[in-house]
Parts: sequence; structure tokens; C-alpha cells
Amino acid sequence: MPASTVLNQRQHIGLQKLSALAGFSHSALGPNKTYKFIQDDASGESALVSSCVRLFENLELTCAVGQLVYETIQAHHSVYRTGSGSLLFLAGAWSRAALECLQRGISVSHIISAMSEGIGICLDVCNKCSIPVENLSVAHSESFTAMPFDVRLQQLKKPVVEPSQTSSNMHREHKVSQKATSTVGQVKIKLSRHFCETRVENLSTDSQPPEPQGPNIAHIAGGLSHGSADAMKLAVEASYLQSERNQQANSSVTFDISKVVTCLLPGLSEEHACVLPGCILLLSAEQASVARHLKNQHIRVALITGDLSYNYRHLGFSRAAGLHRVSDQPALLSSSKEDEWLGKVVTLLLSLEVNLILVSGLMCDTLIQCCCGHNILVVEKVKASILKTFASATGAVPVTYASQLSRQCVATGVKVELWRDLGYQYRKHMTAVNISTCRNSGLVTVILTSYVQGKLQALEDQFWACASRLHHALKDRALLPGAGETEMLCIHRLQKQAKYCTNWDGDTVQRATTDTGTTHYKGEVLHLMADGLIDYICTVMVNTGRTSKVRARTVVSQQLQDCNGPIAQFSQLFLEDEREEGVSSSPIKTQAIKIYDNLSVKQEAWRKALDVVFLVLQTDAELITGMDHETDHVEENVMLL
Amino acid sequence: MSRLVKKSPSVCTDLPLNNTDICAKLRLLKQLVGSCFGPTGRLKHVHNNIGGHVVTTSTSAVLLAAVSSSQPLVSLIKTSILNHVSRFSDCGLFAAFLCLDLIEQTKRTALRESVAIRVNKHLLALCTTYLQQEDCGCKVKLDFCSSRHLLQLARSIISSKPACVLTEAETLHISKLAVQAFLLSIPCANPGIVSLGRTMRVSLEGYSVLHSAVFPGLLINITDDLCVSEPENLHSTPLRVVLFSASLAGDLSELGDGTIELHPGADTDSQILDELLKLGKQAVDHEVKLFMCQKVIHPVLQHFLRSQGVIVLERLGIALMEPLIQLTGAQPVATLHCAIPAKAYGIVSDVSIRQFGSKKLLHLLPSGETAICTMVLCHRNETMLSELKLVCQKTEDVLRLSLKEPFALLGGGCTETHLAAYIRHKTLREATDAASVLGCSQAEYLLGIEGFCRSLESVATTLEHSGGFSLIDLTHAHHWRHAADVMPERTETILDLCGCGLLKSSPDKKWMYLNTEHAEISPTALSRDTVMQPRVLDSFTAKLNALHVAVETANLVLDVKYIIQDVN
Repeated sequence: MPASTVLNQRQHIGLQKLSALAGFSHSALGPNKTYKFIQDDASGESALVSSCVRLFENLELTCAVGQLVYETIQAHHSVYRTGSGSLLFLAGAWSRAALECLQRGISVSHIISAMSEGIGICLDVCNKCSIPVENLSVAHSESFTAMPFDVRLQQLKKPVVEPSQTSSNMHREHKVSQKATSTVGQVKIKLSRHFCETRVENLSTDSQPPEPQGPNIAHIAGGLSHGSADAMKLAVEASYLQSERNQQANSSVTFDISKVVTCLLPGLSEEHACVLPGCILLLSAEQASVARHLKNQHIRVALITGDLSYNYRHLGFSRAAGLHRVSDQPALLSSSKEDEWLGKVVTLLLSLEVNLILVSGLMCDTLIQCCCGHNILVVEKVKASILKTFASATGAVPVTYASQLSRQCVATGVKVELWRDLGYQYRKHMTAVNISTCRNSGLVTVILTSYVQGKLQALEDQFWACASRLHHALKDRALLPGAGETEMLCIHRLQKQAKYCTNWDGDTVQRATTDTGTTHYKGEVLHLMADGLIDYICTVMVNTGRTSKVRARTVVSQQLQDCNGPIAQFSQLFLEDEREEGVSSSPIKTQAIKIYDNLSVKQEAWRKALDVVFLVLQTDAELITGMDHETDHVEENVMLL
Repeated sequence: MSRLVKKSPSVCTDLPLNNTDICAKLRLLKQLVGSCFGPTGRLKHVHNNIGGHVVTTSTSAVLLAAVSSSQPLVSLIKTSILNHVSRFSDCGLFAAFLCLDLIEQTKRTALRESVAIRVNKHLLALCTTYLQQEDCGCKVKLDFCSSRHLLQLARSIISSKPACVLTEAETLHISKLAVQAFLLSIPCANPGIVSLGRTMRVSLEGYSVLHSAVFPGLLINITDDLCVSEPENLHSTPLRVVLFSASLAGDLSELGDGTIELHPGADTDSQILDELLKLGKQAVDHEVKLFMCQKVIHPVLQHFLRSQGVIVLERLGIALMEPLIQLTGAQPVATLHCAIPAKAYGIVSDVSIRQFGSKKLLHLLPSGETAICTMVLCHRNETMLSELKLVCQKTEDVLRLSLKEPFALLGGGCTETHLAAYIRHKTLREATDAASVLGCSQAEYLLGIEGFCRSLESVATTLEHSGGFSLIDLTHAHHWRHAADVMPERTETILDLCGCGLLKSSPDKKWMYLNTEHAEISPTALSRDTVMQPRVLDSFTAKLNALHVAVETANLVLDVKYIIQDVN
């Protein structure tokens, strides 16, 4: 008989587990990511992973904390596709902070209220030090960092510029930046080798834009690539392609990643990665010959959701089990009905002059054959979002059954082009075909290639991370100074608040309420939270490969000490991976690229990390259901109810 | 050939409460519920042994439902508490803890079970009478003229579940919404018999709690943005609505297990589809603008209706049907084989789309007053959101209960300590008489009272989870707490307010630590003109019932002499 089991935990095992799980994230932080092999001893299978999400996907976590962390990371990843590493790391760092608090005898409710205040401070710092993307000309960012620290703190105290106000502020900002330029001297922009294109040049400092300009995507992207410059290059190209023919006002540039498709091709070198407008799909040889026919033709497209076959019924249709067909004649072959259906569909398609069918599910082979014969191109397994994009761009109406097709559902305005013969791919002769709309629908395909098939997944993840960083930067219309700068500001504020709490506590001995204890605790908790962030910065610095842990700590604490003086400032602590440009001999190099972080992604990751810590911190037992104590191996600390 | 399996004999346990194993399980269950109690209670991860979804909660309904024990006494207590919770929503942990503690106290004092049962019954009656009295010292009459009491009641419940992880401001926001939703669900137009409306809850993950809101009417999640063609055209006049409870998927779903014999030439699918299209045409002819179905609608029918400018909503689910019927006045159509009767149509006054982040909700407004509202609950993650949803449901139930009996009990442990002091005081004088009526010695009677009162007091003590201390003041017998690490010379300097917030610490007050021997207190009720207002309130109806359930379940468990288990 299954019985419930209660795990009794004397010390806070949950927080320890959380901290241990967060250990996974150490190598996934920073621009230099290392791969990890996960091997299953039982089956001999292995997986190559380079991010926390993939790591957790491939682990079988049965403990409750593990599950909770996995659910949190997945929820974050499905929306943001980046930042899971720092989420996990901070969950670990702050769980250690909470453990330390418990050891010092601070009660759970005090820890929670102090940490809530702490995260409030951090989120506030983020909001205040965020830079509107419109203001991100290179000169401006230089002037921002060149200002004395207290001036910048003053700036931080200003309310965040509302998006509606930004345009009016533009002229003023521009003057400021010009002035800054003259004092600093000629600002040299040096972007990654991938961004030295014509587009970049006309946005550089010497051009004097007469009116407010849209965000400088190349500059933003350079700062957001976080070590995957190649993937970011693809993302930037995709965003350019998307907005190129979209005659939008430049200031409202967005990057719609739901219209981006990735296509993975093994067996080609990584330099072959590229971005193309439209939707690249892999077709078999005979389909490709149909596509060749359609090359310069007037194309009419039909969109089908679900499968297209005789037996397919829409979702929610239940077939009656008790239906018997009784006949006095010898039974008609069931295939004859299907043939009849096939004939009807083909006639309909021909009468509507359809030459391209996009199906989200599968299509029965005989119908594909028939269509091939009539030079109708069939594409199966098209993603729902792509189908929707085609529908909105051409006016075609997606239908479930072929019989629904009518003149109104079929639309024109689609192009089919052969892109490339790929030879043998996935054990078949494949040809890549580009299906696109004549009007720019924003549909973009990113081709990712690698000789090593196991690496494709990681490359795809990297691309999506970059694309989503760019997407959120344009959506938030603001960025945070990266490379540890935001974290340093948060640490500074947290420590200041902590000091204030402690001092204030000392000054007011007279206060005769229980509050005194609370404020004192608050100082300690905020200090420990700040330590968690210091730990984060140091780990990233170590991962960038040029410092030891000790040195990183020294640098951080040096900066924090300096910033208490009147003219101190935080500089970005870890730079892009510069191996390609030749490692400089001096450890602190003049920086080439200003690094940025996403505002909403960072805030959300921090919030989620602390939420997990709170849930685990407040939990003192697990209730395991469905345990069979006769057959299952019962652990020592399990009590049966 | 049949095989004979030898049956094992049934297992009989006599005097189950003397069995150490059973006692250990009861103690474990007590720890489990006790540690969840109150606003600083500890949470529990509930999951299965193969690593399924994890639920993090401290709510008795979720927690006890997950407990499955081979021990019948544990199951008995669990079932009885869950039954209370299903009826009254609140005070589940209180009932469970009190029940288990009463059993333990009786074991500890080594009182005969039969005596303990009689004394417990007697004291329960005493408590009930006192709580029903007009001048009861731990009761507050709810004032419906202002929202203050309602807000306090709501806030006490919402803040008692830490798994929601709410800040002070968020707690207040949700409390306001809960009260607002409650007020919206009370119809005010029609005199006579009032039937309460209802509050639907829609939960949206990934947004800040402060984005939560209450709307009159119904909000329906729309997954597919194609289902609304051009809602801006529809603002003009009231819109005609039809609502189907039958599946319009075009299958033979009504067939069940029966069989049909068919001619091979017959095409049932297209015949049903023809029927469906006939229905659709009729709806369009009758100027229906909103076509809704509890189940699936055939895509061909949807396509047809949309092409005629009708808003189509499918897969609404059973939970939305009742509120939709109330809101629109439509009668659900249960078949597709006859024309839609004219009286089945309903009406909505307006349809619009409300956007929450990337989520779209269709907002239906009633044409008359229907007292239906929708609460949109937002939270950052799923775990906290599901707990928040439970808590809001509970708050609604408690607020509704308060209409029946417009009272609330003082929270924060004050009711328990006050009741204990009242019983001690009240029973002292008539101990001899009462003992003889109950058929026990006076010593036994006093032992029984001590056990009962200690159980009540330990409920108050359980509110503290960080090793702090519980005290009782000697005038009003309210409950006070202070943290473990403050070592006071004068008690009044470290205490601020009592558990319910009605009393403020002052130098002329005297305190005793709970569960220490203290002089008898005659608890006096507060004078009515006090400026202080209670900050924590508990539901009167739910707590009174929980008290009954706890004592009666404990008595039942004490009464069990044998457990006979069939182990086959």
C-alpha cells in the first residue's frame, strides 16, 4: 500500500541542495562558455551541453528542490532564452546568504523582509541606471562612464526617462554628448570585426543627425553579444533583413523573433552560417523538381492546419467505437472511398489553381504523389507561427479540411526559389527551397552550420540567446551597463543601506520597541546579499580567463572602496573575450566595446532567483506521495505516515 | 484450473493509542500541520517519488489531500478535517492541530478515555455557549457600513499563507480586490430573496501581483486570436448570444457504448456537418453575434460563422457554463438535432478585448445586473500563483460566511488564550457539582480541564516558529509574543501589540509565559469605546465549526478500542 513519506530535515537541507545545484551554473556564466558532457552509465548515452537549461533537461532530478529549480529555469528560458545561468547562480549565492543568516540566528521572517527590501533596492538601481537605447550613441556612453561617480549617482536619482519624453530629450542629450566628445577627444569606435560594415559607419560620431535617430543596432548588438559574436552577427543581420523593407519609422524598430526560423545543416563549416529573407525548408529531390517548375510562376498558396489525409479529423473529434457498416453486397474496398476523396481534393486544388500547399502536420503520401504530378508543391511540418505569418502577409485563410478551401482562402503573393542543393542530408538527397512572400512579412531564416553535429544544438541556443537579447533590448527600449557595472552599483547601494541600518541602530539606543533588532538584522542580511553579487561578479571575471579568484576579489573590493571617494567611478570589470584580437599584455586593457545587459531579463532573473530562495527557505519538510514502503528503498531520514 | 490463494487473517490492534508506532504517526502529523500554522508557518514541498511536479504549500486542503496513510486513525482525522475545509474553507490547520493535541494531552495526563470524552464534550458546550453570547470577550461584531472589518478579515486570511510570497503592499492590494469582488457579487437591485452572484478567477503567470484586478462581467481566456474578427464593430447594441453545452465537433459523441449499424454508403460525418451548418445558418439568420460552445466546434462551422462576422468561442469548459448562463440569460442548448429555440438566446451588452502583457482576454459585460465578476490574479511564478488562487477562493468563502453570522473572532491566538482563561475561571467554582454530573472524581475533572485548556493554548503557541516565546496578559488574557533573543528586564518594553492588535503594551499590565503555572485570570472584555482596532480577525463561523470538528474527532479517536484491518 502506498504511503506518504515525510522527509525530516533538521538543518536547512533545502538551501544546501539549492546551493549545490547552483554549482552547475559556475562554468555557464560569462562570455567563455565551456561544454559539459553528461554520460548515462547505464545506457552509455551521452549529451553535450553548454547551458544550464540543457544541463537540467538532461539530468533526472527527483528531489523537490531540483524540480522547483528546473521549473523556474524553464519558465524563464521559455520567455527570455537567456539569463538562466545568472538566475541559477544567484539562487545559489542568495541561498548561501540565507543559510548564513540562519546560522547567525536571524529568523526566517526577518530574512525575508530584509531580502525583499534588498531586491527592491537592486531593481530600483536597475531602473535608474538603465540607458534608453536612443541615447546609446557611443559618445554618450563614454561620457556617462567618464563622469565622476557622485554625478552619476545624481543622474541615477533622476526618474527614468519615459519613452514618450525621449524624443524631446534627444536634442539636449545630443549636445551633452557633443560636449563630452570635445573634452574626451575624438572617440574611437572600435567594434567587433563583424560590425565594421557600411551601416555602422554612417551612424558613427562624425555624422550629425538632424533629427532623432533610431537605436544604433550594431552598437547595441556589439555590447550584447556577451562572447558569442558570430551568433550575434547573425541576429543583427536577421533584424536588418526584417526591418529593411518594412517602411517603419526608425525610432520604433523592433525585432520580432517569432518570425525567425532556424535551419540546422550539419556537414558544412561554421563559416557557412548565414541569414536569408523568407523561409528555408528542406525538400526531397522530387519535391525540389516541382519547386523548380514554380520558380518564376504566379503562385497561389493554400494553408492547412493539422494533417491533410483522408482519415484525419480535427482535434476534439472522437471516433465512435460502435459503428458497424453492414451491407448485402461484397464490401467495397475501403481504399475506394479514399480514392474518391483523393480525386475530389485534387479536382478542387486544380480548379482553385493552387500550386503551393503549406501543411502544419503531415500529408498522406498518395496525395503528395498526385500533387507532384500536377506540379503542386507540398510542404509539410510547417511551424504554426510561420503559417500564421503567411496568412497575415498574403490574406490566405488557414483551414482544417481541404473541402473548406474556396477562392477566399487561397491567396497569391508568394515566391518559391531554389536556394541550394545540399546533397545527402539526414540520409536523403535534400534541396533547400526558399519560400517567401512578395511583400516583406519579416520572415527570416537563419542557417546554422557545423561539421560537428553535436554542436549544432549549442549553436542554435547561442543564436536564440543573442536574438532574444536584441529583441528585448528593442522592446524595453533601454539597456543596463553591463560587464558587472550594474551589479557593482547594486552592491554599492546595498552596502550603503546596510551601513545605514547598522549605524542607525547604534544611534538610537533609546528606541524601546522590537524594531531595533529588525533594523540590525537588516544590515547583516543586506551585506550578505551584496556578497552574493560580489561572488557573481568574481565568478564571471574568473571565467573570462584573465584573473584568479583572489585577484578578482581584490579588484572588486578596491573599486568599491574607491567609489566612496568623491571622484570614483565603476568601470566595466570583465571584457569581451579578446583572444581573436590578440591578448594584451596588461591585464586591464582599454576597452574596445561597451558591454550591455538586458534590463527586463536581468530584473526578471533576479526576482525569480530570490523567489526560489524564499520558497525553499520557508520549507521545512517534503511530503512524498505514492511511495510504496515495501518495495521502495526507504531512506534513513524518511518517516512514514 | 483455479488456484487457491490462502487468505491471511485480519490484523487486530487493541487499544491503538497505546501503540507506540501509531502514537508516533499521530505526533508526526501534528508536527506537520503545526509547522504550517500562521503567517510565519513553514511550507511543504509536495511531490511524488518519481520526481513529478512540485507543489509548495502550507494550505491544509492541499497538504492533507496528499497524505495517504496505511493507518486508519490518521485517515479518519484527515477525512474529517478535509470535510470541514470543503464546507468552510478556513481553519483546517487549526482543527487538525487542536484535534491531535487533545488526543496527545489526554494520553499525557493518563486520564481515562471515557472521562476525557465527557469532559471535552462538556467544555465544548461551555465554549459554544460563551462564543454565542452577546458579551463574549473575543468576538467582534462586523460593521458592514465600512469596509474596514471586511478588509481586515481578508487581509488576515491572505497573509496567513506565506507561500504566496507577498509584500505588505501586495497583501493589501489583494485584500482590497477580494473585498471588491465580494461586494460586486452581492446584487443590490432586486429586493426579496437575494441570491449571491459569483466570482470567477483567471490566473496569469509572469506578471506582478499589483497587476491583478477585478472586473464586472466575465473575462475569458482566448488562445487563438483569430476567434475575434473585428470586435470594434460590435459596440453598438446589445449582442445576441447562443450557448451550446453539446459538442459541436461533428462526431457521434452521444453514442456512448452503444452500437450503430450503417449502410456502407452512408457518410455520417458529412451528414452531421450538414446539421451543424444548418444550425450555424439559423444562428446567423437570427443575428447571433456571439457563438459559444462548452466543447469543440467543427472547424468548418467555425469558418462559416467567422466569415459571417460572428465571434466564435469553443472549449469553454464546464466551470464557465454556469456563470455564462447567469450573465447572458441564455439557456444552454444540449442538442444539435433541432432548431435553436428562441428563448435559448441570451444577451450581452458589450464585448471587448483586454490585454494583459501578451495574454488576451475577451471581456463580456452583462446587459442587466447579474453580480458576476472576474478576478484576474497575477503572480511571478506558478507555485505562488496557485497558492494565491487558493487563498483568494478561501477569502471569498469566508467573506460570504460572514453574511450569515456577522461576527469575527480575534485572531493571532488571542481567541484561544482568552477561551482557555475563561474555561479555567468559569469551571473553578462549580467543579464539585460538574464532576458529579459527569460521573468522575473532582481530580479527574480538573485534569481534563487542564488538558483541554493547554491544547487551546498550544494552538496559540504554535503560531511562533522561530523559537520565540508566548505570553498571556493577566487582565484580558490575550496572546503576546516576543522573539527568542531579546532578554528583557521589563516585559512591557519588548512587547508592542497583542496577537490581534487590540491591546497595546503598557506599564500597568502584567504578563505570564504560556504553559507555565499561573494564577487564575478572570478575563475581562474590553470596553467598547476603545480606540484600538483589532488588526487580525478570524472567521467566526469557520472557527466555531472547526472547534466542534476538532473536539468531536478527538473524542471519536479516543473512543476507538480496536482496529481490525483486512490485509488481503
